[in-house]
Amino acid sequence: MVKITALQKRYGQGAVILDDINLEFEKGEFVSLIGPSGCGKSTLLKLIASLSPVTSGSLVVDGMTPENAREEMAFIFQEPTLLPWRTVTRNIELPLEVLHTKWDKREEICARTRKLVGLDHVPDHYPRQLSGGMKMRVSIARALSLSPKILLLDEPFGALDEMTRDRLNEQLLAIREQQKFTAFFVTHSVAEAVFLSSRIIVLAANPGRVYQDIRVPFAYPRSAETRESPEYQRCVAEVTKVLRAVNPDHP
Amino acid sequence: MNFLKHNLRWYLPVLTGALILFLWILVKELFGIRNFILPSPLKIAQAAIAERHVLFQSAMITLSGASLGFVTAAIAGILGSMVMALSGNLRLSLYPYILILQMTPMAIFAPVLVIWLGPGLPAVTVITFLICFFPIVANTTQGLISVDKNMVDLFRMINADRGQEVRLLRLPHALPYFLTGLRIAGSIAMIGGITGDLFAGNASGGVGGLGFMVLVYNAQLKIPALWAAGFTACLCGFLFVSVVIALNWFLLHKWHDSIAKSDV
Ligand SMILES: Nc1ncnc2c1ncn2[C@@H]1O[C@H](COP(=O)(O)OP(=O)(O)OP(=O)(O)O)[C@@H](O)[C@H]1O
Ligand SMILES: [Mg+2]
Repeated sequence: MVKITALQKRYGQGAVILDDINLEFEKGEFVSLIGPSGCGKSTLLKLIASLSPVTSGSLVVDGMTPENAREEMAFIFQEPTLLPWRTVTRNIELPLEVLHTKWDKREEICARTRKLVGLDHVPDHYPRQLSGGMKMRVSIARALSLSPKILLLDEPFGALDEMTRDRLNEQLLAIREQQKFTAFFVTHSVAEAVFLSSRIIVLAANPGRVYQDIRVPFAYPRSAETRESPEYQRCVAEVTKVLRAVNPDHP
Repeated sequence: MNFLKHNLRWYLPVLTGALILFLWILVKELFGIRNFILPSPLKIAQAAIAERHVLFQSAMITLSGASLGFVTAAIAGILGSMVMALSGNLRLSLYPYILILQMTPMAIFAPVLVIWLGPGLPAVTVITFLICFFPIVANTTQGLISVDKNMVDLFRMINADRGQEVRLLRLPHALPYFLTGLRIAGSIAMIGGITGDLFAGNASGGVGGLGFMVLVYNAQLKIPALWAAGFTACLCGFLFVSVVIALNWFLLHKWHDSIAKSDV
């Protein structure tokens, strides 16, 4: 689905941010990117999304250049990035409007995705009337409205409290059972990464490079109970250890 | 008690007004100030009533110049800011000259305009336009270019073209900025109108704009009438600002934090 070969990235003539990245991802994988601050996680997502150009090496998305594959991807930012002058419904249908989707089709998709993220009760609210978690769900619904093959998420739940975050993680996996997207998920939370992912890429900093490629062994579907299983907790401990090793300044 | 609390925003200003009037009369009587230096409010009101037809006609003349200049400045401000938002280099090249436009004292520029256009509505309109244009174009440009980087990335991700980005993202984002510019312009539009008919006005049948009438009353030593003309100008200025505030409320109250009542 995504193949990265000998990839290097620098902004302008600046320092090398990502160096010699070689990774290959299959369709349907849920990949978490984790590593110290500034190691280039967001940059890697932006390269896949073609929001920033690759300096050297190659990056192939679904057999195409990232630029051409953009229609198959959706990006969820750390902030909800909603348009404050649009209601929940109008925000969700923004990508469809840009694509000139027919009005009735728009309506139908919008109603479906709104239900998917549990926002059926507030279709006409403006963003300022929503809580942080609700805004994030609108942002997710907007991304899902195009049924993307690849979902790119840059610390989407970083600003939320733990309870809300856990709930949204469970919802995200539930949605994935229906819409089989491949996900790239940047996070600072090991617990979140283990809960969601089939695979965790630990990056090292200066320059950003792959430190370890970890497979998460237990199967989907996962639920809140998964977090209580010893298997899950062992995995969290293991990944935490790896992250400490790569990030010695932050014990 | 509840009534008092809920209508605070109405009766407090009225109370202030009454207090000012009281002090006015008090000072005048206490120090025996003569009428041509400071007329009593009563005298001014009498003059206003006596001259009401002239003042009304005069206010209409000033208002038409002021509103024409204001509206054209608003339209040109939107178009100009869209041009300025196109590129940083364009902004760099244009900005100093737009600023110069704002810096030019109208009292000096007005005679030139009269030479070009002759005295009358067009000249007054241009003067108001020149005064109102800058705050609108500067604010709106700021709104167009200060869109969050992530928002722009979002629009790129959904493959929006440049036109869609402007229409669906940049223009709505600039709306509150535009309205701020409009509010500033609204509060100075009357100054433009009055400066305009002072220097470039046209008095047919002895009645010109308010700025012109001030000169006439002064020459005729009708001092209370002169004050009445001044208050009429204030009233017109108020009208301008009220219209902009109403527009502001109408366009923003649903979604913008500046006026949306988010906590009730
Ligand atoms: N647009 C840019 N121009 C120049 N340098 C940039 C740009 N964006 C990021 N960088 C640099 O690239 C490096 C990696 O940044 P990036 O945002 O990818 O890190 P990150 O891993 O996402 O960090 P965090 O966990 O704090 O979000 C940083 O050193 C940053 O200064
Ligand atoms: Mg980041």
